[in-house]
Amino acid sequence: MNSVQRAWRSVVRKPVKSLLLFLAVSVISLLLLSGMGAGKANVVSQDKARQAVGAGFRLDANEKNRSRRLEEISERIGNGMEGSLEGVHQKKIETAYGTQWMVWADNSFETLQLADIEALASVEGISDYNITTCVTAVRPAGFRRIEDPDTDQHGDLGCVTLLGNRKMELDSNVLSGNVSVKEGRMIGPDDRDVCVISEELAAENGFSLGDTLSFGDRYDTLGSAVQTATVVGIYQTKQPMAAYMSGDTFRSENVIFTDLRFPEKAEGAEGDPCFEHAYFQVADVDRYEETREAMERVEIDWERYDFIDRNGELSVMSSNFNDLEKISGLFVAVTFLAGFLILFLIFLFWIRSRSRESGILLSLGVRKGSILGQLFLEALLTASLAFLLSLPAAPGAAKLAADYLVEGQMRQEELRKNMDADKVSGGGEAEQTVTGVEITVTGEMTGLCGAGLFVLVGGAVGSAGIFLLRKKPAGILSELS
Amino acid sequence: MILEAKDVSYFYKTQKEKQILDHVNAGFSCGKLYAILGPSGSGKTTFLSLLAGLDIPTGGEICYNGKTVGARNLREHRRCHISLVFQSYNLIDYLTVTENVRLGGKKDPGKLLEGIGIGPEFWNRNVLQLSGGQQQRVAIARALASEARILLADEPTGNLDEVTAFEVTSLLKMIAHEEGKCVIVVTHSKELAEEADEIIRIGAASLSQP
Repeated sequence: MNSVQRAWRSVVRKPVKSLLLFLAVSVISLLLLSGMGAGKANVVSQDKARQAVGAGFRLDANEKNRSRRLEEISERIGNGMEGSLEGVHQKKIETAYGTQWMVWADNSFETLQLADIEALASVEGISDYNITTCVTAVRPAGFRRIEDPDTDQHGDLGCVTLLGNRKMELDSNVLSGNVSVKEGRMIGPDDRDVCVISEELAAENGFSLGDTLSFGDRYDTLGSAVQTATVVGIYQTKQPMAAYMSGDTFRSENVIFTDLRFPEKAEGAEGDPCFEHAYFQVADVDRYEETREAMERVEIDWERYDFIDRNGELSVMSSNFNDLEKISGLFVAVTFLAGFLILFLIFLFWIRSRSRESGILLSLGVRKGSILGQLFLEALLTASLAFLLSLPAAPGAAKLAADYLVEGQMRQEELRKNMDADKVSGGGEAEQTVTGVEITVTGEMTGLCGAGLFVLVGGAVGSAGIFLLRKKPAGILSELS
Repeated sequence: MILEAKDVSYFYKTQKEKQILDHVNAGFSCGKLYAILGPSGSGKTTFLSLLAGLDIPTGGEICYNGKTVGARNLREHRRCHISLVFQSYNLIDYLTVTENVRLGGKKDPGKLLEGIGIGPEFWNRNVLQLSGGQQQRVAIARALASEARILLADEPTGNLDEVTAFEVTSLLKMIAHEEGKCVIVVTHSKELAEEADEIIRIGAASLSQP
């Protein structure tokens, strides 16, 4: 009778002895799958701006990736070194309190890559696309902005806000139905040096279609360089647009829509644009998912971006909600190590408690390797059964784990916001609400978990088996008599 | 002589001053039942384990068919030349009667079991469902399943009542005389010793063979 036959009979006829192992492997398997599932969880988040995506997709810069790139480039410039590299600048400032370092990034660092946007726009199924610039504060030259008479303007920039669009009708404010043109037209891709102003601004200054507005770089206090844009439309809003920051510079009535390249000119950085969002309109809504898959296959540096769908779901390519993937990875590693220890102890207990049985087999001339093989096969059979039975429960367990981790992340985020409350003066940051966590336990995860369990069981049996291999035949007779 | 102990001595490596066996000589032939008698702690089981190839003597040698059993051929000696029967039966509790016998070797378990009085109605039962006497018979059948010519038994009747002990003794005698095996039994039982062809008395560091 070989070790396979013995192992099978042992497991089938005396299942109680394997119960502890069964439970342990079930728990380890569930924890491993939970960790893997949670690591790849899709955090369903929504914010007001993103809900306006409609039958299209939106591309934003990934904040985490931005921070990492900034750190990396700063390191490449050198610690304690002044300089500029790839749009990042590092400068030493001597103050009364000692030396301080200022690190900042310009448009070339911040902008979405035009080549990436165009590559995505060329995907079959995309009928049109828009690019929106970063909010650009510029000095109004020769016209009055809208101001709150009760507010002290001392701390404000004294500017108006420019928002450049390749195609204004695809701007999120327009798509959401909040902004509509009252007079004139919207801005198109071929327009140059044009703008669409609010009805309040037009009324305040008596502007009408065809008039010219002048803007200056807000840092150019002498006002020598001025750029002009012709009014081609006047817009109205249902509700004031959310302000980027507090202060009248950013108030809804002072937002001026322009053509895509005008803001960079107005701030004196022509040829160095800052594109903040891109929007891709899907031609056939019934082929929405198909188009998404085709877009996701485009080879661009996805780590730089957040790709947002029509439900406001955020599919982050580089990393999930904050450190979810990292925490889950740690969780899997700890489970793996703890699992090894637990399984090792279980097998040690097995070998000790089955010392008599191994003695009998040794006295019958069975090799130690064959006895160890039998134990391994028994463990593998039990572990396989436990693993298979844990699979249906894995998505539920993974969901629980992910919910727990995301909740922790949200609490941390809330704490951070509370701590920063006095530093940020307004609603510049889009309010993001996590509405759920989507978990998929993929075949790859199942395969990895199965392989991991195989390694764990093999390693633990092998380690505990050393005690069996060291058993001396001389002790058998006294042990068995 | 199929098995010989030549000038065999033994002491535990941790207790070198305590000599368990001191220059023991004995010879064993096929077709005979040998009984090794002696008080507790006299070294009977140690002697049996040396004969079984479970350990090597610290002095002298064990020879099988005139060939020394040493470290190099110890496992082969255990596997091919020796079969063991223990006081507490030592059957594998998750196997049936037939499967336990099959563990011992390739001989037909049915014939062996019938030969020692275990009927077919017991063959597929779990060994724990048998009485002590029946379990010991199964253990003997397992020992007989191998081609080994020597059967070593350590207190085979120690856990059995008088009647069953007599039956097992008769069985061992039958195995020696009819099967032609060399049966060596370590025992405290006078009844079993009386049935033996030769009695070997083992005392404090000594052994005598009539």
